[in-house]
Amino acid sequence: MPFRTEHRFKAMGGPCTVFIDSHTPLHTSVLLGLEAEIGRLEQKYSRYRTDSLLSTINAAAGQPAPIAIDPETAGLCAYLDQLYQQSRGRFDATSGILRRAWDFRSGTVPAASAVEALLPLIDWPSVEWDDHGIRLPRPGMELDLGGLVKEYAVDCGIRYLAEQGVQHALLDMAGDLAALGPQGDGLPWSVAITHPRSPGSSCATLPMTNLRLASSGDYERCMIIDGVRYSHHLNPTTGLPVRGLIAASVQGEQCMVAGSVATVAMLAPDRESALTWLRESGLPWCAVDSELQVHGPLGTPDTRASAGK
Amino acid sequence: MRDTDNPRLLALTSSALLLPAYTPVANADAPPEVAEAGIRYSKYQEDDLSRNKVILGSNERYDIDIYQAHLLTPIADDWSFALDVQREHMSGASPWFVGETADGGAAVFMSGASISDTRTYVGTTTRYYMPRGNAGLQLGYSDEDDYRSKSIGLDGAWNNSDNSRTWSGAVSYADDDISPTQGTIPTNVEDEQKDTASAWFGMTQILSQTALVRLGLSYSVSNGYLSDPYKLLDQRPDRRSRTTASASWRKFLIAPDAALHIDYRYYSDNWDIDSHTLRGEWHQTLGRFSLVPYVRYYSQSEADFFSVIADPAQRYFSDDYRLSSFGAVTLGARLVASMNNWRVTVAGERYRSDNSWSLYGGEEAPALVDFWRATLALDYRFE
Repeated sequence: MPFRTEHRFKAMGGPCTVFIDSHTPLHTSVLLGLEAEIGRLEQKYSRYRTDSLLSTINAAAGQPAPIAIDPETAGLCAYLDQLYQQSRGRFDATSGILRRAWDFRSGTVPAASAVEALLPLIDWPSVEWDDHGIRLPRPGMELDLGGLVKEYAVDCGIRYLAEQGVQHALLDMAGDLAALGPQGDGLPWSVAITHPRSPGSSCATLPMTNLRLASSGDYERCMIIDGVRYSHHLNPTTGLPVRGLIAASVQGEQCMVAGSVATVAMLAPDRESALTWLRESGLPWCAVDSELQVHGPLGTPDTRASAGK
Repeated sequence: MRDTDNPRLLALTSSALLLPAYTPVANADAPPEVAEAGIRYSKYQEDDLSRNKVILGSNERYDIDIYQAHLLTPIADDWSFALDVQREHMSGASPWFVGETADGGAAVFMSGASISDTRTYVGTTTRYYMPRGNAGLQLGYSDEDDYRSKSIGLDGAWNNSDNSRTWSGAVSYADDDISPTQGTIPTNVEDEQKDTASAWFGMTQILSQTALVRLGLSYSVSNGYLSDPYKLLDQRPDRRSRTTASASWRKFLIAPDAALHIDYRYYSDNWDIDSHTLRGEWHQTLGRFSLVPYVRYYSQSEADFFSVIADPAQRYFSDDYRLSSFGAVTLGARLVASMNNWRVTVAGERYRSDNSWSLYGGEEAPALVDFWRATLALDYRFE
């Protein structure tokens, strides 16, 4: 396997890297097509773009007519619904609105009344959707696919590469990653899980062939006020930051499913319920708690992860 | 690896799989991207028999030069075509029959040193690739002075939806004509035939990220003239059915950048021969090189009509050492160097057999063989 292509690009607000092993020099169109496929999803589901389908849906909240959606969006709605049920409401795709109260750049804790005022707008079961359209019933409600769409993009990117005949690839989108086949020489890709308090070191190294790995952690976005770390993972029922795990990684066959399992673990109110959720998920996982203890079959059990530096 | 009984995971996964991104990619089992060609030379040399095991004739045994050429090329989007040509030149002597020595032991009458034969084989494989598997058709033709064989085979492989398991199967049929040359050795037959039908079934399962297991079962039945025409005292049943069960285990080891292969095979036929084969290989990657040392142990029981000195008064009889009870050990290694589009392979192995290494009882045939084999191969990818 004489050719290894390494390509770096930015998408969905983070750095992406793809490695492709091939017998012949890789055609540039494959890399451009990969960026275009991920760009397509960003264009469609970004809440930062006013022309995205997501922004159109949110802008029509409270209006009587539903917004037309395509089969892909309807499929994502069906998945969000299933995820809401399986997580018993912990993952609510309408909870992103809490960002209006919690500004993680401000360095201040919002007033309780500001948070409570938003709670009635967090209500996934009230969202009306079917195969053809979606309607948010109350004005001000917002749909947010932030906890899902990057992982889904990883799966779509890998599928695109497979369709182009690529047999050996590793796609890493800021920590959510996927291996297509083994490396060109037949050996598995070797993937490190970054330590949440020491980005240069890792808490586990995993061999991966045809597998996805999704990670979620409060190092992504958080704020520290008076020594208290406020996670950007907010409980949809109370509107308050959760205090369970600081990082969770889950391995699976779909990055989207692995990512949802990791995100729901991060949303658990305390460590024990987070670990129970992961144990019962049926997928290999590892997690780091606030005392920097590493848990789970993918981590190194019973070792205190060093914060390094 | 995945807990398929977990209801929560099943609910999430089933829901995700409805999205267009998770429908299977067409042609996951793809034809080769570019053409490949290779040539290979092998030298097979049997050790001389020790003088005290030969009553009459040369103690030099077979020496075979094997030349092979291989071409594999994609044709159209979903098809590939492969051509294999092989030419072998064989010279030396072979055991004619076993007789009694003056001291009551057994030793060999050799055929004389002038046997020389050339075999030519041409085979083609046409393969079709589908989204979840592939199917191939093989045609083969082999020709030598005294033997002609025509064969046809069909095989197929099928992957499950997540590519963690592959089912494979094959059927084949061969029709052979035997017309021994009436040369140095007088033979009893002039024109004989045999045919062989075989079926094979296998399953490969990925166990984890670094391990897989492969299980196989095969059955073949031959009908017709199954004796060796160049042996004086050889009369075998005209039907032979063989059953083989095999298991292979492959394990990648990340830190040494190596892989361990362990293979076991059990064989049994209706001539009462059972055998066990155990093989271990270590595949070590060293940059552009790959070094594969291996060891193989083989042991078989004797055929029910075998005796050291054949008894023609019986209905079936043979003194062919290949039907005796013995054990054999092979030690070998191959080194593969890859440079751009080229691949060079150098390999060598030593095979030794001995009656006392057998797992089974039975008397020692005097003509058990030991040999050396060396191979040099060159492959090229057209890019």
